[in-house]
Amino acid sequence: MRNKRVLIPLFKNEVAPRFDLASEAMITEVGEDGVVGRTEDFLLPHAGAEGLCDLILRKDVDVVVCGGIEEEYYHYLRWRRVEVLDNVAGLARDAMTRLALGQLKGGEILFTREDPHAG
Amino acid sequence: MLTLTPELLASIDFPAMLDGLPIGVAVVDREGRVVTVNTALERLTGFSRNEVRGVPSRHVVRSGLCQRKTPSDTAQDTDIVNRHRRKIPVRVSALPVKAREGKTLFRLELVEDLSALREMERRLEEPGGVGKLVGKGPAMERILRLLPSMAQADASVFIIGETGTGKDAVAEAIHKLSPRSREPFIRVNCGPMPPQVIEAELFGRVGPSGEIIPGAFQRAGAGTLYLSDIGEMPEAQQLQLVNYLDEGAIRPAGSTVGMRAQARLTASSPVGPEELARNGKLRQDLAFRMGAFRLDLPPLRERSEDIEFLLAHFLETFAAKFKKQVRGFTPKARRLLLNHDYPGNVRELRNIVEFAVMVCTKQTIPPACLPGHLLAQLGQGLR
Repeated sequence: MRNKRVLIPLFKNEVAPRFDLASEAMITEVGEDGVVGRTEDFLLPHAGAEGLCDLILRKDVDVVVCGGIEEEYYHYLRWRRVEVLDNVAGLARDAMTRLALGQLKGGEILFTREDPHAG
Repeated sequence: MLTLTPELLASIDFPAMLDGLPIGVAVVDREGRVVTVNTALERLTGFSRNEVRGVPSRHVVRSGLCQRKTPSDTAQDTDIVNRHRRKIPVRVSALPVKAREGKTLFRLELVEDLSALREMERRLEEPGGVGKLVGKGPAMERILRLLPSMAQADASVFIIGETGTGKDAVAEAIHKLSPRSREPFIRVNCGPMPPQVIEAELFGRVGPSGEIIPGAFQRAGAGTLYLSDIGEMPEAQQLQLVNYLDEGAIRPAGSTVGMRAQARLTASSPVGPEELARNGKLRQDLAFRMGAFRLDLPPLRERSEDIEFLLAHFLETFAAKFKKQVRGFTPKARRLLLNHDYPGNVRELRNIVEFAVMVCTKQTIPPACLPGHLLAQLGQGLR
């Protein structure tokens, strides 16, 4: 079975608070054994949910980890058989690590309340 | 006269004061992290104050401006995407709270829900209707005229109508026209379900660690709770509703303590409260209390003057939705549609037009583009 391709829309080093406002994203391959593989960064010409959906389908992404996403795009991606873990708040690398360990769920807030953040 | 002494200011219950405000407020520290949010913002975003404490506010409010470098102090219209994946139009502004010596202590982020305003603007641009309610005949005009005054009063409303006559749309329109329009509109279908389930769904329940898991009353807050098919509700819950209407208090399932609730009740049923009471489906005392204001929605067959208007209205709606250049019906298709008796009322008419516009490849819809069941039924009488 091939590795899972995971996309995280980014705001600096965080999971972007909103899917439709992200103009950057990273796609990482995660093996079945939980090993995090190669990461590619993408810069979209402009922020927008349509552009991200195109990228997700074009790059054969299996899982999207994001913050807020509108119902319309959530259901569209689900319909295209992309798993969506939304309402995730935290640093992108923390989200990826937890996902690789099989421990990430939609709605998780990963910020440790005292850590510095991108703001 | 009252003097704002330091002691008095220090004694103010700040969180309770914020909870009393009708707009969403987040108290944000100098690092941009949420210290607390008020009830209105909890409702708007779907996040509770406990789970967002210490989280950067852009991950909580999630406004269209959240990824800007510096927050603006002037009010700006934008939108938020809440936990339930709803995009809500809002006005956001920020207010720095400073100590006497000028040092900023924290910032208040104010989030005002503009849905009702946008909805009203949209409605004003819409000919012949209120919200999803459309109609031009005398019966509908009477209802559209009655709605604003019913909405302004605070008594319960009972909406009576066959399936597809627009009971849900009327309930929503009453809410949107009412002073409670900024508060939530919660719909509960009272259709057959076990009493324990509906009790928890309506009044909330006590969770495993003693916390109250909100039900429809708590979610509605000071908004409107709409109970569709109220005649299907078990008697025990009907009694709880009577108590609520008398005392303004509810008791979550598993709790021994009552709590105040503020929601306005609206209910609907295919038949009136008296008939429901006669058939043993509605307690007499609840029927009296709920039937103060009632609206009878006439079936479409009794307001045939509306059919033509509705056909044109939905044709335009779906032509725009499907991006098609469909402009009307052929005379034969029109005759078929005007002669149908629409047992499913407006919903059936709407579905027929949606189907016809979707399958039609011409500028005018011929009979062949109408749903098969309609053609079979009507073809016998009209050739």
